Amino acid sequence: MNNFALGKYLPLNSPIHRMDPRAKIMAMLIVLIAIFFPAGFLGYAIIAVCTIAVVLIAKLSLNFIWRSMKPMLFMLLFLLIVNVLVLRTGTPLISVLGFTIYSDAVFQTLYIAIRLMLMIIITTVLTATTKPLDLTLGIEDLLQPFQRFHLPSHEIAMMISIALRFIPTLIEETQRIMRAQASRGVDLKEGKLKEKIMAVLSLIVPLFVSAFQRAEELANAMEARGYCPGRPRTRYKVLKMEGRDYLLLAGAAALLGAMLVLWLA
Amino acid sequence: MSIRFEKLSYTYSSGTPFAYAALKDVDLEIEEGKVTAIIGKTGSGKTTLVQHLNALLLPTSGKLEILGRTISAQEKPQHLKSLRKDVGLVFQFPEYQLFEETILKDIAFGPKNFGVSEEEAVRRAREVIKVVGLEEAMLERSPLDLSGGQKRRVAIAGILAMDPQVLVLDEPTAGLDPQGAQSMMQLFMNLNKQMHKTVLIVTHDMEHVLNYCDNVVVVDTGEILQKTTVQEFFRKTDLLKQLNILPPAIIRTREMLNQRGFHLSEEIMDIKTLAKAIQREVKTK
Repeated sequence: MNNFALGKYLPLNSPIHRMDPRAKIMAMLIVLIAIFFPAGFLGYAIIAVCTIAVVLIAKLSLNFIWRSMKPMLFMLLFLLIVNVLVLRTGTPLISVLGFTIYSDAVFQTLYIAIRLMLMIIITTVLTATTKPLDLTLGIEDLLQPFQRFHLPSHEIAMMISIALRFIPTLIEETQRIMRAQASRGVDLKEGKLKEKIMAVLSLIVPLFVSAFQRAEELANAMEARGYCPGRPRTRYKVLKMEGRDYLLLAGAAALLGAMLVLWLA
Repeated sequence: MSIRFEKLSYTYSSGTPFAYAALKDVDLEIEEGKVTAIIGKTGSGKTTLVQHLNALLLPTSGKLEILGRTISAQEKPQHLKSLRKDVGLVFQFPEYQLFEETILKDIAFGPKNFGVSEEEAVRRAREVIKVVGLEEAMLERSPLDLSGGQKRRVAIAGILAMDPQVLVLDEPTAGLDPQGAQSMMQLFMNLNKQMHKTVLIVTHDMEHVLNYCDNVVVVDTGEILQKTTVQEFFRKTDLLKQLNILPPAIIRTREMLNQRGFHLSEEIMDIKTLAKAIQREVKTK
């Protein structure tokens, strides 16, 4: 689980790391929308070049990006199989055991694969260069305009930041309990189905018990310090947009524009 | 027979930017049939060290010999299950591993995993619940309804029911009241003296080390600083000071009096001998 790269913050010092989280979130959203335009392979090539440039500026290693994509490989394979079975248009390419693979199936899969990979890279850059707390601060600010529609933007941000805060804690807790139960002879990998169910149960029940206990303690601790949902709060960290932040937004917008042109042209 | 660590190293997340060497070339021999205390600051590698004893962690390099088995980086330990049965490991705050509906089932869970029959597991549960100082009548209750101290006793009972030859306890008395902690330590002593089990205790409590243990292992930043008998360990307080450990009250009293002109022997480690020695010196003056 330590090799899990998706969604992990990497404390490096790069211009991307220092950017305003709001700018980064907005830029990510704009580029994600741009990816959805059917701009053809040329469009994706442009986005890919820009994305890799950002990865390099952020000083992230390509190995790290590759590891964050690994969990998706299985899904891509599954997609390929489904597409090959379902899509039966275009020119037939090769025939395996009386089953013909059509060009559309291959193109379609490639298309989706590239989209997915670009999306993963972009979100990975965001989470790898932005501290989870800054991320939620950014989300809170960006949701502010929706407050007039009674959207509890602060509460949502608080929930997200609490959830993020407890991910490592819960992973640690899971490992601890797994080891404790392994000491009692639990084997999560081998054994009959009944034994496996028992093994999973011996992990989940203690995990839930401690998670609820933690939640209660946290709620008490927050209340004891005067936290009251819905009340206005001051902030320790005030976000400020700077030149490079606007530059990033402009770049993302330009990318979106380019995709639009490629699509309509 | 003894438990032997040979040039054992362990690195967490090795090969990533988060790599952290928790143990560095540890050479250590722990005698069987004794009570050994493992002490050191938080983060010094104590817990990592003890998790090697039942192969929960496999060494990054070096090897460990325990109960006739060898655990090393190259060879995966054979008979992993039988090793885990023979080396009972009680984690820090073991009360969080309880999950069954009744205490009886929870205690019987371990032995059943190691292939003990249902009846035998239940028989053992009835036996060990008394060993840890709880009543047999509690067996039908839910383990989640108990108090913290009782939960911990149930969790320890769950390990004892596996009938391990070596019992490893990671801070078994943390968060217990003084009486509870004392009776807990007394329990481990009895297991050692009456049932001849090898006991390893990770602890921060020097009073417990002095009163209940035979040997002391000092771990500091992943290395073994010292391994000695308790008698030897408390003779001089220089190392304790250097490690920022507060010596037990008796040792402190002895040292303080000696600084003020007394000539009390460094062998003195219990209250009666200390009182007598002070009396003798006061009389002769």
